[in-house]
Amino acid sequence: MLQDLLSVNLSIPFWLSSPSPLYEFIAIVLYVIIVSIIFSVFGYVMGWLERKLIARAQYRHGPTYVGMWGIFQNMADLIKLLSKRDVIPQRADRVLFAVSLPLLLALSIFVILLLPYSPGLQATSLGFGMLIVFTIIAFLPLLLFTAGFSSGNKFSGISAQRSVLILLSYEIPTLLVIASVGLMANGYNLQSIVSGQHIYYALLMPIGFIVFFIAMLAEFERPPFDLREADSELIAGWLTDVSAPYYALALFLDYARMFLGSVLIAILFLGGWSGPAILPPLFWLILKAFIIAIFVIMVRATAFRMRADRVLRFGWAWLIPLALINLVITYLVFVG
Amino acid sequence: MKIDRGQLTNQVSRLKAAGFDYLVKITAVDYVDHLEVLYFVRDIAASKDEILEVTVAPSDAWVPTIMDFHLSADWYERELAEMFGITVKGRATARLFLEKWDGADPPLRKSFVWDAQYRTRDVKK
Amino acid sequence: MSVTRINVGPIHPSTHGVIRLVVDVDGDTIVNVEPHAGFLHRGVEKLAETRMYMQIPPYTEKLDYVAPMSYDEAYVAAVEAAMGIEVNEKAKYVRTVLLELQRIASHLLGLGTLCNDIGQMFTVFMWTFKDRDIVLDLLQEATGSRMFYVNMRLGGMHAELPPDFAEHAYNTMNYIEKRVSQYETYVEKNTAFMERMRGIGVLSSEDAKALGVAGPVLRASGVNYDARKHSPYYMYDKFHFNPKVMLTGDNFARYKVRMLEMKESVRIVKAALKAMPEGSCLGMPVKLRSPNPVNRTVSVSRELPRGECMMYLVADPQKPYRLSIRSPNMVNLAAIGHIAKGARFADLFGILGTLDIIMGCVDR
Repeated sequence: MLQDLLSVNLSIPFWLSSPSPLYEFIAIVLYVIIVSIIFSVFGYVMGWLERKLIARAQYRHGPTYVGMWGIFQNMADLIKLLSKRDVIPQRADRVLFAVSLPLLLALSIFVILLLPYSPGLQATSLGFGMLIVFTIIAFLPLLLFTAGFSSGNKFSGISAQRSVLILLSYEIPTLLVIASVGLMANGYNLQSIVSGQHIYYALLMPIGFIVFFIAMLAEFERPPFDLREADSELIAGWLTDVSAPYYALALFLDYARMFLGSVLIAILFLGGWSGPAILPPLFWLILKAFIIAIFVIMVRATAFRMRADRVLRFGWAWLIPLALINLVITYLVFVG
Repeated sequence: MKIDRGQLTNQVSRLKAAGFDYLVKITAVDYVDHLEVLYFVRDIAASKDEILEVTVAPSDAWVPTIMDFHLSADWYERELAEMFGITVKGRATARLFLEKWDGADPPLRKSFVWDAQYRTRDVKK
Repeated sequence: MSVTRINVGPIHPSTHGVIRLVVDVDGDTIVNVEPHAGFLHRGVEKLAETRMYMQIPPYTEKLDYVAPMSYDEAYVAAVEAAMGIEVNEKAKYVRTVLLELQRIASHLLGLGTLCNDIGQMFTVFMWTFKDRDIVLDLLQEATGSRMFYVNMRLGGMHAELPPDFAEHAYNTMNYIEKRVSQYETYVEKNTAFMERMRGIGVLSSEDAKALGVAGPVLRASGVNYDARKHSPYYMYDKFHFNPKVMLTGDNFARYKVRMLEMKESVRIVKAALKAMPEGSCLGMPVKLRSPNPVNRTVSVSRELPRGECMMYLVADPQKPYRLSIRSPNMVNLAAIGHIAKGARFADLFGILGTLDIIMGCVDR
């Protein structure tokens, strides 16, 4: 049944051609619901698993009380956060403060909705789909910047500065790696990138894969690049003044971005939904994203945070040259 | 070694030249009729301690600063000023050692009656 | 560029208690750090003047709540010196063992919080906390308490050690030794950790002396002073104790001195357990009336885990006339402005972590 549900053909760009308005409407709603369910469940499970796995790494048990193995702990936390009062500090720019976090989440979810999840499950199949995705992703640090400065807190201000730093040093390698992926796939269509991966791009361009993985860690604030939220220095960085419901949004955003990053890595480098046909393609994509996310969590449990200037140096001295080398090698070996 | 407060800086600099270059502590004792300020300096290489005792009258309680010779005297002198009401002359006025203390009555003097003091403080607020 | 003033604390994730640091930064570089102490001031010195001699150890213990027994012992030693009481032979060994166990427990916690401060997600902290718990189990066996012991009595201890204590302690020490080596490997092979440690927060030996810093911070700057060696007490001189000294004076040196000290403590504990004589280690039972002091003023130096503490006691019959405590944490904190100048803002917390300050002891 699931197979049927997921193979609804939605691959026609729904705002360009419309066989019938009703079909279009149902398709959009169905697509949004399905993808929302996928990423909510994924995010929820990752949130629980993150607590459990990190607890295991630290000789702890993690949540145990709410539900079996504490599976509903995050739900309880969410209810707690939503039932608390939200405080907007007086010195804050009220509009920006109230808007930036929801906007960040909205943009992240928008990118999530733009991604393909299996041959049939996709909102649009534009030729430059990947470019749109990364254009919007590049907006996220800017919004973090406004979110940081809007609260008027100095710790948030420092965090905002650091978000520009990350923008400066990690967007470029990301785009260079994307360019080499585009070279390999002969275009920026995400569908054709996946279907072109008879051998995973992670194996064909390992340097690019590693660079992209690190850049994604930095992009989505995962340790050891969590400079913006560095809790031992900046209290909570740009989230210092963010209180209850907004903080719930921030946590939600965290997992939305984690999902986005894992799915992007899976699509661009690990063959997306390709896998043995015993299970639906969506399953393989989610499984790959899941494995990447677990790896990201284990990095969080063990890594030491890098200092801001080191992050910048690492980006410019290692990632950008490596990404360039990767681009040149890709061109010479696979295209030229 | 009992010395006069006029000789203090000389003695400290002489001892520092002689190898006593580590200030362990500055403290004071209130003997009601006089206050005794104690300077513990140490020669680390020879592991010898020297104690300089300066006696001052409670009505005329001041000592010269020794921060020119020992940077670590900073906090001790602030403590001295706040806890014993001993003015330290010759240094920049320092913040109080504790944050919320008005410094009106030096608490480590024997004349300090703390129950009564706290009660009046509460009533005033 | 303009200088920004940032207020770190009193409520901040990595302030080791309640401390307020007013930090002036120029871009990311620290221009000035001004520590504000006093949030934990309890007036212990004044309080001591109103209590009988053996009512005071519970107060002094709470000065340094990470290594309470060390402070307990420093105070009791001062009282013993004032009253001319000789500690019995076995109690000397027992105190040596327990103090070194306390030092290990304290340094383990220090390592954990240091890793937290430079941005580790509590993992090393939880590991060291678990190992510290194992050491605390030993202390519990010996004293009946895990946190505040009050087990020092004039001339000896409150209770005998349990019969199987030596064996347990020996096994635990083997385990701790292994773990400490593991921690060293884990953090020193980590480039990110070493980048935050090497060459950061350098304190030269001249500055260290001038600022009067104490304990591991002093020894990390190449000044060879350890009260256990230079004014030996108990059994330290018997076990050929040598202070651990590093020359570089940076964060790494301060961290490394503590690691080396833990290994040295393990060695001392093992040796003391082996050489422990037969007999009783009990001291005088606690009574409200204690013997009259024979010395009016005494000053006793003790090397606590965080540095040298000097107890200056002016003794009256039954009550101290004045108890003055030289706190090692206070001098170390006072030095932070000098150490952190020119460092990056993020490194301030690494420096704070390597100074390993307990605010209860700073404020007294």
